[in-house]
Amino acid sequence: MFRIELLPLLLALALASYACRAGGFWLMRFVTVTPRLRATLAAAPLAVMLGIVTPAALRGGPAEIVGLVATFVAMRLWRNDLLAMFCGVGAVALWRLAQ
Amino acid sequence: MSLFVYSGTAQAATVGGFASATGVLAAMATVLMLNARYLLYGASLRPWLGQVRPGQAYATLYFLGDANWAMATKAHAGSENDAAFIFGSGVSMFLPWVAGTALGALAGNWIADPRMLGVDFLLVAFCAAMALDLLKTRADIAPALAAVAVAAVLDRFAPSGWTLVAAGLAGAFAAWLRYDESASIA
Repeated sequence: MFRIELLPLLLALALASYACRAGGFWLMRFVTVTPRLRATLAAAPLAVMLGIVTPAALRGGPAEIVGLVATFVAMRLWRNDLLAMFCGVGAVALWRLAQ
Repeated sequence: MSLFVYSGTAQAATVGGFASATGVLAAMATVLMLNARYLLYGASLRPWLGQVRPGQAYATLYFLGDANWAMATKAHAGSENDAAFIFGSGVSMFLPWVAGTALGALAGNWIADPRMLGVDFLLVAFCAAMALDLLKTRADIAPALAAVAVAAVLDRFAPSGWTLVAAGLAGAFAAWLRYDESASIA
């Protein structure tokens, strides 16, 4: 299960991840976070998530579309992201099962 | 991987990258983009966490997560002033995460066809749900549209690792452009 050739990649990812965690704290010694910079940083997560969803929606077949619709509806109903995720995945599984 | 990278979205996205072999650079850029919010979290903790020794502060930051950052910020707004709270809440989220992934890795060997269960859709569904959660004010709309547009175009040419990085940068850049100094009493 563990593949040694993936170790450099794992270390690179760990480094990138920790750099983000410690980087902001460290940078604040030198930079003042203006409201504008705060707004810029705050917009990144949503944009990245849409960068994941958009290609999946464009490439996906009916199963993926059904799954996305189920996720949206569940999110509107309960405002709970974990629950919405399971609804989406469940819808995809059911659709594929019915094929 | 959970021990070292400790980021759900980043791990799921880069595991997809393992298969398509987009390369170490794209995978690292993905992690950087997905975890860019931690720059903001860390920055916001500076006045509080800056009171303890640097060694303690940087060890605490290793365990920083969305939930415990939110918890700690809320507690600090109340009366909590002990920086150990950030460390404690961080570790108590970290341990179940590692245990959960280990369990999942064992279970993964028993699932004959993960596609049948829709497992490949897990990250997409999670991101769609989180995106809906994050899309709150009118100021979020322009960055969101920029991200979708860039992702839709780039998806035709570039590997998916780069598509989401570019979408993230486009959204951040749109937020920078659209920011209105006069309307910032948030």
